[in-house]
Amino acid sequence: MNRRILVPLLRTSLVVVLALMVANQEVLAAAGGAQPRDSGVDPLGVGIDYDPYPPGILPNDLVPEIQRVRREINFIFQQALGEWRALPPIVHTGQPPTIQGVGYRAIQTLGKLMNFDENMSPFRNRACSFCHMPYAGFGPPIPSVNLTMIAYPGSMAFRAGKRNPQRYTYAPWFPVLERNPTQNLFFGGNFWDSRATGFLVANPDAEQSQHPPVDTQEHALPDTACIAFRLSQAQYRPLYEAVFGPNTLNLNFPADTEQICDTPGGAAVFGNDTEPVRLSPADRTRATTVFTRWAESLDAYERSSQVSPFTSKFDAFLKSTYTLTKEEMAGYLLFNGKGNCNSCHVDGRGTTLHPGQFDNSTTASVKPLFTCFGSANEGLPLNPRNAFYYQTTPDFFGFTPNSIGFGYRDLGMGTFLRSGYGSAPSPNADWTQFAPTTDGQFQVSTARNVAMVPPQCGSTEAPGPYFQKEFFHNGYIKSLKQLVHFYNTRDLFFFPVLSGHCPPGTTEKVNCWPMPEVRNNIDCTTGNLGLTDREEDLIVIFLETLTDGFITPFPNINTYTGTCMTGGSASTQGNEFLIPTPTLPPCAPVVCNVPPLPDPPIVECFDCGPACPIPPPNPRTE
Amino acid sequence: MIRLFRTLAIATAVASFFTSNHAAAQLLPPLKKAARVKIIKAPELEIAVDHLTIIRWTTTNPGGSDVHYGIVHYGTDPKDLSQTAKSPLRLNHGHRYTVFRVRIDDLKPQTTYYYRVGSEESNGESDRVTSTVYKFTTPAPGERFVARP
Repeated sequence: MNRRILVPLLRTSLVVVLALMVANQEVLAAAGGAQPRDSGVDPLGVGIDYDPYPPGILPNDLVPEIQRVRREINFIFQQALGEWRALPPIVHTGQPPTIQGVGYRAIQTLGKLMNFDENMSPFRNRACSFCHMPYAGFGPPIPSVNLTMIAYPGSMAFRAGKRNPQRYTYAPWFPVLERNPTQNLFFGGNFWDSRATGFLVANPDAEQSQHPPVDTQEHALPDTACIAFRLSQAQYRPLYEAVFGPNTLNLNFPADTEQICDTPGGAAVFGNDTEPVRLSPADRTRATTVFTRWAESLDAYERSSQVSPFTSKFDAFLKSTYTLTKEEMAGYLLFNGKGNCNSCHVDGRGTTLHPGQFDNSTTASVKPLFTCFGSANEGLPLNPRNAFYYQTTPDFFGFTPNSIGFGYRDLGMGTFLRSGYGSAPSPNADWTQFAPTTDGQFQVSTARNVAMVPPQCGSTEAPGPYFQKEFFHNGYIKSLKQLVHFYNTRDLFFFPVLSGHCPPGTTEKVNCWPMPEVRNNIDCTTGNLGLTDREEDLIVIFLETLTDGFITPFPNINTYTGTCMTGGSASTQGNEFLIPTPTLPPCAPVVCNVPPLPDPPIVECFDCGPACPIPPPNPRTE
Repeated sequence: MIRLFRTLAIATAVASFFTSNHAAAQLLPPLKKAARVKIIKAPELEIAVDHLTIIRWTTTNPGGSDVHYGIVHYGTDPKDLSQTAKSPLRLNHGHRYTVFRVRIDDLKPQTTYYYRVGSEESNGESDRVTSTVYKFTTPAPGERFVARP
């Protein structure tokens, strides 16, 4: 049969079959007989997913890798159930009533159960931990995804977000997002763009845990009340009620709640309705309270020693129970000195040490978190492998994740302050005016656990054995060697090209750095540090001392069941997966024409092909 | 003496584990603003390549806000430095000196520019230091200039 006829016919047939299946599910749900679906990758179970991607964008092993992570998650979930059952009786005493003795353990265990609970998604196939596994420092767990699409497939596979999932560890220590008026700088928040401000729950880490469950490309629940609904069905409901009170999950959910919560957010059937579960005002208030309790519980877990334990070699060094090796100390001195890393990744110590010198400053009276809680534009190139760019067509539910395709530019915090495309509403209109000074800025992550990998893999660095990670907001960097080399030579090896177009005779990430995605506000603390190759290696060695688990074993570090990689070089690790950036369309108005406008305007590109002329000079003027 | 320092350092670090509070307690106060800032290494062209020029100079650590902006006023006429480029950097609390680097985009090739540098805190307050006028010439298209480290 002619292909032009066959393809539309097959497509039409599939849509009919899918429609019938969804109709059947609706009947089941209406009858209270909704069945958990467990295909994991193919939520509708009919051999079709949302796959708008050109060949090669999704990794070949994506399906088995998703299944592998899900098995690991379920293992830890079962372990957490055991931890719950081992808890002593939970009794509230005193005034105000407090869970005496076991309160911390109880809420941390509850948070752990929530974190590894796959039921918190429409197709019961995505837990929070799907993007945040312990062996990766509670960062992204699939090497092939880290090498390619960089964002992780959500409950409705293969919808995906736009950024590298940030590590959980020490996220609870970030303060509520605030603008310091004296310094005219922002501090705090969670997420790369700081959009989890924490203003309402007084804790950005807790607020962070409220975003993915209702993010259309992550868990994708269509209503925050679905969290209360699924918790009311949870095996560990008794623990929730023991912590937060009896009957706190007794809501009168409408009969169609299951059907609604089984449908991913963004579905055309919901329109712009963010509360499709029709609750009474009193029950809506209860559901909102449960959603806050969800956030508090997850924060308690992430704050606990199971996630953020301060057990690295560096912590042992501070306690004087470990002596840094000669190389580690040399790396530390470079980190604080020539590398200037601690201008942002603050080590909490007030003295730049020299060999034989000891820190006697008063600023060491903080636990060093290796972040300044600020944001910066480091000038990363646009990564054309980012799955976000390709999701330009509607999925089965009529949802299009990114209608502007490569017209998207990631302005980070600037877009958030404008309540802009792909971010979240900013809760403070007074800050909108500062958007142009934060365009292109992303949060300065803690350097702690940047090197954490499964023990059997041993390293982030080729030739390994190593576990492939991804670094920075768009995952462009694939090893710590590259990360340090980028800071060291970003400007020295600048070429006015897009990724995948470095000139002949150069090697991308070695002696060619493509131009930044956003040229505004580029941080010039680094970019030409003059570090030697050996000095870069020493800083990597020091970064490895920031990995928890040295003083006491890191919980659940041994849960990785995938394979480690070997071979190659850390300098070019992952370069075989570079692809040429296509000729870029202008930045879409919905991103770049939102007032207050970026200053200077976001430039589409220069020298990236005949279709993209060099723009006229546009110097910044005061 | 070294032993004494070591003991003090250990005591301080260990005490911090018991006394520190999370979140707000981690925000270090900014450095005290220096009474006087001096340029100790004169401005110079660091890098010039198609579409990107970087000017650098070194001062004593100016203190004040965590982020500072290096500022370059420039133009092709030494009497008209009406164009301005600014780049942010983050001060290192432990360093005595600060290297300012400013990116200037999209200059014309093979053109001589005159410039003067200064710096300010992120709130716009000047560091009260200004250089004399210097000059540089951009390379031809495709050529690359890189100063010695």
